Amino acid sequence: MAAILTLLAGTFYGLIIGLIPSAGATTGLVALFGFISFFGFDPYLGVIFCMAVVASSTTGDTYAGILLGIPGANSAAATMVDGYPLAQQGRATEALTAAITTSTINGLFWGTLTFALLPQYVKLIMYFGIPELWAFILLSLACVGFVSNKFWFRSIIAICVGIFIGLIGIDPETNIDRFTFGWEYLEDGVQLMPFVAGLFAFPEIVQGWRRGNSIATIGKETHTHQTWIGIKAVWKYRWDALRGGAIGAFVGFLPGLGGAMGDWMSYGATVASHPEEEFGKGNLRGVVGPEGSNNAQKATSMIPTVLFGIPGASFAAVLLGLFAYLGFELGTQEIANDTKFFDSLTFGFMWATIITGVVCVLFNKQIAKITYVPYIYYFPFLVAFIIWACVQYTGGWQDYAILGITTCLGLFCKKYKFSRPAMLMAFILATKIEALTLQMTTIYSIDKLITRPLFLVIMSFVIMLLVFSIVKRSKLEYA
Amino acid sequence: MKKILMVLVISLGIVTSALAETFTFVVPQKPGSGTTVWTEIVLKELARFMPGHTLKLRNFPGARDIPAVNAFQNELRFDDTIIMVSHGGNGVSFLQENVDYNYADWESIGMMNLNIIVGKRLDADLDDIIFASNPGRVPDAMALALLLCGKLDSIAEYTTCFKSKVTFVPGFKKGGDRRLAFKRGELTVDRENPAAYKKHIAPNEEAEVWFHHGILQADGSHADDVNYPGLQMEILYEQKWGEAPSGPMYDAYVLVKSFRDAMQKAFWVNAGNPNAELLQKALLEMSKDPQAIAAIQKKVGKYEWVIGEEGNARRDTLMSFVTEPALRDLVEFSNEALNIAAIYKESILNPDAVDVVEEDEQSKSITGWLKDFFNWQ
Repeated sequence: MAAILTLLAGTFYGLIIGLIPSAGATTGLVALFGFISFFGFDPYLGVIFCMAVVASSTTGDTYAGILLGIPGANSAAATMVDGYPLAQQGRATEALTAAITTSTINGLFWGTLTFALLPQYVKLIMYFGIPELWAFILLSLACVGFVSNKFWFRSIIAICVGIFIGLIGIDPETNIDRFTFGWEYLEDGVQLMPFVAGLFAFPEIVQGWRRGNSIATIGKETHTHQTWIGIKAVWKYRWDALRGGAIGAFVGFLPGLGGAMGDWMSYGATVASHPEEEFGKGNLRGVVGPEGSNNAQKATSMIPTVLFGIPGASFAAVLLGLFAYLGFELGTQEIANDTKFFDSLTFGFMWATIITGVVCVLFNKQIAKITYVPYIYYFPFLVAFIIWACVQYTGGWQDYAILGITTCLGLFCKKYKFSRPAMLMAFILATKIEALTLQMTTIYSIDKLITRPLFLVIMSFVIMLLVFSIVKRSKLEYA
Repeated sequence: MKKILMVLVISLGIVTSALAETFTFVVPQKPGSGTTVWTEIVLKELARFMPGHTLKLRNFPGARDIPAVNAFQNELRFDDTIIMVSHGGNGVSFLQENVDYNYADWESIGMMNLNIIVGKRLDADLDDIIFASNPGRVPDAMALALLLCGKLDSIAEYTTCFKSKVTFVPGFKKGGDRRLAFKRGELTVDRENPAAYKKHIAPNEEAEVWFHHGILQADGSHADDVNYPGLQMEILYEQKWGEAPSGPMYDAYVLVKSFRDAMQKAFWVNAGNPNAELLQKALLEMSKDPQAIAAIQKKVGKYEWVIGEEGNARRDTLMSFVTEPALRDLVEFSNEALNIAAIYKESILNPDAVDVVEEDEQSKSITGWLKDFFNWQ
């Protein structure tokens, strides 16, 4: 009984976190440090609670993207590209239901594969060395920059700008300030939250404020009917859903790469698989394709986290700390033999995925009606909340200044069609790209690299995507 | 009677709440980091010895973990309920980076006198070591230079020798990436604190302990670690080169390893903080409680606590290592061999080295004298 109550509490809490624009599993888990000690009497309940938060917040972050055009978390941005136009057409329930159903199915499928076969993955992870991870990051940038965007040259510029901003801070090699222009605040780099909010949230809010009326301006057909269309769409586009889940699962499995990559790669793969279709203007396939990715990624991120005590993504790093507080030392032999721990992990993740899926599908049609509410009624709250979230880093004027600068950048990119997703991805991966490049060039010579088949295969995919984007341009204009 | 009892209960409540404090432990890193986890483990136990008080952890991350410690020095320490949690990297930064803080201005609540363990893969080529670089790894790099090169005359010679035998790989900011690279064999030597060593390297069948840096003693010497006996760097050096390590490079190594390891995890308050005694007393009680210590040792190994006045004395011992030649050699090796932008800070030299400072004072320009006089920055 205690386990069920804990599960419900964690699921509810995670769902609320997921609904908050720009928040996500990581934010929700960080907030738990204040009261994780309550589970001191039974730490396994704490494990259930944490896993429920991970599963439900990942599903819940779809709402802000589809309904408001603001990514619920950076990993949910790809769903927004086609989801938000669907909401504008009055098809929010359809988009939400398709997204939630895909998330739930992929979460369950990859959750089962992850938790049932956990110890078997050790050798597999070892095949991916520094060169392979480096090539894989290039592949993800190629997907978002070239395949998912018509303006590939502007995407390259967006990627360069994203990398530049991502590298602001301290040069890890020399310890010297880099691109900080003497501003001490920038020594720790530009924070993710204001960057996402400036790039995505405020341009949409400005647009909504200018428009003045509700998000959805047409289509008020029965939302119950839309629920069925959404569910059936998942079956109709099942291969896109499965492909998206598989890509997300693979990204999660590789330590440290994070959710945004899987999402955008899945979206890129969906666009590339259907060159005859139009994306970015409300294609349901564009929702189903990437949406399963982040749930699958959350599940498989637990593989390196549990087996090696090495976080598979940023949320997993926080989870590692919470579990340590509960007395579970991930990556040790003791944990590998603790069957109750694995049962709690599986119970929390799987059941929270199911409950969230059912609850969301049942209430989608009510929640979707927010798109008919005139923007003026809720945008002040939205602005206040997003600003509050962005100034949590220091609370000083510098946080506001950064938010202002990134908002200007977001407005510029939106107007002149410079790919914001590509810029975000490059920003997130900038330090990783730099680190892997330094590592690879120090340890490996060309002679050594050409003896690594996996590296060569991934690099040939990157080249193929570049050629594809030049020869056969994507129709997607979303920026 | 009921009324009297109620008044008593309410009065007791008011008195208790008036005495109860919320103590905030500022950790200079993000949630989930090594120092955060260590602090969480310790606070969980410490809370039992401070009934009525609330112990809160506040993460204050920033570049190279310095902003929080600077903020403590400049502002936070004047709040009597704030405790700084510093780690070994802060000690290394103190020696050779442009930071605001100075341990001499603080009072020790307690510190855990820890060690760093260096492991190597069984197939590692000791003439071609591949090791991850990081500013906090300066002592490890210096130990490698000493062990691999023996006694040389100058830092320049050590630099040349180090570069010929060690590939110092940049770009490893996160421990996870480095650990996987070591498991995969892309790095051949790695190092961890005792807790992380037990977790990440000890279970690896393809790796073994190479050496450790030793435990700092009250008299300033370093003793062998009972957890890894016979593997202290100095012991291995003597076995390989036939004499004990000595010379300028070794002095610089002792300086930097002491600052990193002896204060690897430490609690500090401002000097003269009225709550210091309360906190020291609680920590002392915790350190004597078998249950609490067992819970902490389970995570980090058997290492001693140095509490209160002993902590201050240990800090003073460390400050006495900061001599001009040792500091200059450390900075030179960091700059030349490790490509770290280290700076030489005359201001932190210990009072025994004051002769040198005074000589410099005499030769100072009028502008420099005016700056000091008006306390310009």
